[in-house]
Amino acid sequence: MKPSLITTHPFGEAYAKSLGVAPWRGHLPGPKVEEWRFTPLRNLAKIAFAPAAINVSVDIIPRTVPVIQGAARLVLVNGAYRKDLSDANLGKGIELSHGKVPAKEGSSLIALNAAYAPASLALHVTGAVKKIIHIISIGAAEVAPAALHPRITITAETSSSVTLVESHVGLPGETYFSNPVASITVGEGASVRRYVSVDEDNEAFHLATSLVKVAGDGNYEAFHLGLGGALTRQEVRVALTGENANVRLNGAYALNGTSHHDITTVIDHLLPNCTSSQVFKGVVDGESHGVYQGRIHVARDAQKTDARQLHKALFLSRGPAIDCKPELEIYADDVQCAHGAATGEIDPNHLFYLAARGIDPETARDLLVEGFLADAVNEISDEAVRAVFGAAIGQWLKLRQARPS
Amino acid sequence: MAATRETAAAVRDVEQYKYGFVTDIESDKAPKGLNEDIIRFISEKKNEPEWMLEWRLKAYRYWLTLSDEEPEWAKLHFPKIDYQASYYYAAPKREKLASLDEVDPKLLDTYKKLGIPLLEQQMLAGVAVDAVFDSVSVATTYKKKLEEMGVIFMPISEALHKHPELVKKHLGSVVPYSDNFYATLNCAVFTDGSFVYIPKGLRCPMELSTYFRINEKNTGQFERTLIIADEGSYVSYLEGCTAPQRDENQLHAAVVELIALDNAEIKYSTVQNWYPGDADGKGGIFNFVTKRGACRGKNSKIMWTQVETGSAITWKYPSCILQGDNSVGEFYSVAITNNRQQADTGTKMIHLGKGTRSKIISKGISAGRAENTYRGLVRIGAKADQARNYTQCDSLLIGDKCGAHTVPYIESRNPSAQTEHEATTSKISDDQLFYCLQRGMTQEEAVSLIVNGFCKEVLQTLPMEFAVEAQKLVGISLEGSVG
Amino acid sequence: MALLEIKNLHASVAGKEILKGITLKLQPGEVHAIMGPNGTGKSTLSNVIAGREGYEVTKGEVYLDGQDVLAMAADERARAGIFLAFQYPVEIPGVTTSAFLKTALNAKRRAEGKPEIDAMDFLKLVKAKTAALGMPYDMIKRALNVGFSGGEKKRAEVLQMTMLEPRVAILDETDSGLDIDALKIVSEGVNSLRSPDRAFLVITHYQRLLYYIVHDHVHVLANGRVVASGGKELALELEAEGYAKYLDAAA
Repeated sequence: MKPSLITTHPFGEAYAKSLGVAPWRGHLPGPKVEEWRFTPLRNLAKIAFAPAAINVSVDIIPRTVPVIQGAARLVLVNGAYRKDLSDANLGKGIELSHGKVPAKEGSSLIALNAAYAPASLALHVTGAVKKIIHIISIGAAEVAPAALHPRITITAETSSSVTLVESHVGLPGETYFSNPVASITVGEGASVRRYVSVDEDNEAFHLATSLVKVAGDGNYEAFHLGLGGALTRQEVRVALTGENANVRLNGAYALNGTSHHDITTVIDHLLPNCTSSQVFKGVVDGESHGVYQGRIHVARDAQKTDARQLHKALFLSRGPAIDCKPELEIYADDVQCAHGAATGEIDPNHLFYLAARGIDPETARDLLVEGFLADAVNEISDEAVRAVFGAAIGQWLKLRQARPS
Repeated sequence: MAATRETAAAVRDVEQYKYGFVTDIESDKAPKGLNEDIIRFISEKKNEPEWMLEWRLKAYRYWLTLSDEEPEWAKLHFPKIDYQASYYYAAPKREKLASLDEVDPKLLDTYKKLGIPLLEQQMLAGVAVDAVFDSVSVATTYKKKLEEMGVIFMPISEALHKHPELVKKHLGSVVPYSDNFYATLNCAVFTDGSFVYIPKGLRCPMELSTYFRINEKNTGQFERTLIIADEGSYVSYLEGCTAPQRDENQLHAAVVELIALDNAEIKYSTVQNWYPGDADGKGGIFNFVTKRGACRGKNSKIMWTQVETGSAITWKYPSCILQGDNSVGEFYSVAITNNRQQADTGTKMIHLGKGTRSKIISKGISAGRAENTYRGLVRIGAKADQARNYTQCDSLLIGDKCGAHTVPYIESRNPSAQTEHEATTSKISDDQLFYCLQRGMTQEEAVSLIVNGFCKEVLQTLPMEFAVEAQKLVGISLEGSVG
Repeated sequence: MALLEIKNLHASVAGKEILKGITLKLQPGEVHAIMGPNGTGKSTLSNVIAGREGYEVTKGEVYLDGQDVLAMAADERARAGIFLAFQYPVEIPGVTTSAFLKTALNAKRRAEGKPEIDAMDFLKLVKAKTAALGMPYDMIKRALNVGFSGGEKKRAEVLQMTMLEPRVAILDETDSGLDIDALKIVSEGVNSLRSPDRAFLVITHYQRLLYYIVHDHVHVLANGRVVASGGKELALELEAEGYAKYLDAAA
């Protein structure tokens, strides 16, 4: 392979040896790989990561994890399930198990995860689950840079329904790299809602892949919030494998410092009469870098597809960067597909309007930023989660004001 | 029966591509293949100065290092090109014409068939034409009149002798020899093309036009166009292209460079109708073209309009580098692909100066088994305060065997800049079609009408003479795509 | 002391002088109308008083209750009691009208040393005010001005005015784009706010708004200057005869 297509990495022989498993022989994508053009991995690959310890001592859930009233709690520390920190009273219609990680081929990150993940946290959904299931993944590196490979598998059987919240956070300490993979299968007529919040430590790396399959008449609704980390990528690939399936994939990010956040989505319309919609919004401050890449693929057979996609980003200062690549790849003719993308700063007319009503500039900016992101946050259909995610954004704004500028 | 159907299809093909004839004319050809001797041969034929040859050789040597770098990112599929199997120089015999009267009558006849009369008395009012046949410019009309105004409009091979300082200063200044695989190849082997200089403050009163024709078999065409609009000047430039119907693919790798100084404006229009190959994808032109304009001066403006209906493969991204403060770049495009045609085309708008503005309007129509991709880059540099971009890309699919794709790249580094991108993909609505049919139109008339409406925003930016031609072309290109 | 005093105000936009020496005094309780043809500086005057960026005051002074208005930022002016009803109220997606109103109201209360309004009290207040203006209460749940008709937007402006209870309200072409019913409702809202300690500056191109808004004084603005002042009769005269004679005088 051309050198520009791979990035050499620290996850080979030595890494495998300390785990006592067979080494991963794959490559991380290089700077010339089209899907990674905006998110180079050279800084990640420079760090000598070792496998994160499974039995690290953690007594409490970090405060950055939002509290969701009445939710069941499943905690992973460094990718391993921690019964002592969990509240696994899940209620009816759902079962928890800890399965082997399938050694399936896929992207290099999925293969990396498969090589080193301890076990898969598997949820098998058979009925209408009442409780929200809150999965918390904690990275804890202690004294040396460490990597973790959390694995989550959700299987929602025919006509079942479940609401999941995922929080990805870290403990203070050395830098860590989280490489989570979630496989989600939405059965016929089933409904899965999944709300993911990534609020990693400032020095942390987070490269997540979600693989979602939605069967006929199935509904998948997801929201991906990105608030921190040195380098974060949330890659979501959804395949609509039955007719009349419906996907709503939304998200928001708010970045400062030198944070890099990448949202990459691929929606694969394979059969007729499916709909997909995406609304992503981001604000960037400091010297941060926001990336959105979204591809809608409509296969030859997927007639009557309705697919929409929107990304808007707002600059809060001079210094950040925005890269955006929304993509339509259409092979069926009787379709309605559209995308929109925009970048800019807060409209001075809006600021003046608020000033003319007596609102000071800082409050006005916060109100406008919250309003800007609200278009995406309001897509969250679960009211409690919407409030929690909205509050997390509010908190981000408060911290932003507190930062010396 | 089968034979009859085949004959009918062949007849229809000929009718569809009415420029598919071959002119039987004696020509000078360099030996097949590409090496330094061929480049020296081309340079010598043109009696070029030493620095020009050196530049060509530098490009050629660099090109050899690129063997691994032939662009692969476009959504295009074609067999690997054997660059040694092509002729890099072909010229109609009989050189150095003193006047148009000496042009081979067969050539004149060719251009007449193409609808491009070269004899001045038959000229379209107000359009000066430079005709490029295979590798060389064969005739330039209205020379005298333009000279009097200070406009330089001549083959670039001639400009190299008459205005070496202008050519040397600007050639390769927008598209450097190391730019990309095809442009580098062009630097090494380009044979002719048009050179235009518009003096300060002049609003060029006539449209300047180049007409490209590939005639020879197995010939690559590598022309190079350079247009310089000095301060406060204006020029509108038209370009048309056709090629005979041949079973093998022919390569066209042109480079166009535009330079607009302070307050200057260049309008560059193309109607590209190279032979697209037959319904099964046999033959046709590979059109790998690098077109780029630099808005060097403040308040300068470059506007690209393209109607791309021909070629088996189109790889083309006419771009604007907006360096001067408040400079403007515009790109209007209609790309129609039918049968087995493939197009990956769009633009790049590179915003560097303050207050720079760009607008992209792209209409893609895909029919038959064709693939049509819009690919565009909008880049806002850190210093491009208050820059603005607006992009609208619409795609239309006709039939369920084709593809339409939209791949915009938006990269912003400036908070006060605004970019806005919108794209849609749909088909011709059954309601619209039925309405037209109910009013007595044939299916093809209706499609032509609706598609023309879909493209109107782009077509209306073309100069009058071209607009009418382009509208007809839109209809013709889609023949056989419905029903 | 006048409530709002404008002294010899000169202002330019992008280097071009638009206001060429405006002097006006508004006493508490008064309603002044400013009329004039398009492009004479009416909107510039309202924007300069409200403190919009891009307008350079080259000369002159503006006082609110003796406070130097030009020294204040736009939001300070608003909290001090200057309210501009915009000719073109902006649409702000994502920001609900209720969040916006509450933030504005609390900003004012804070400036007055009052505690923030209780959430229930706020809702009660909005309910009462929207009802008085014949507006559906639900409208405060919608994003600010987004998807509002022209009439709804102007009513929303008046709603904000009645909530914020300004000292001086400037109505910039509030009648533009309104049908007669909306015009009546908006005018009634304005009339109901008339009070002995409040003044209005009603900017309009047409006389018709002045049929409904009770006013005391009329000024004609032409070419950046006040070229005539008078009572109600002046507005009627303008309606009958047009602006021609004032334009000639100003040129």
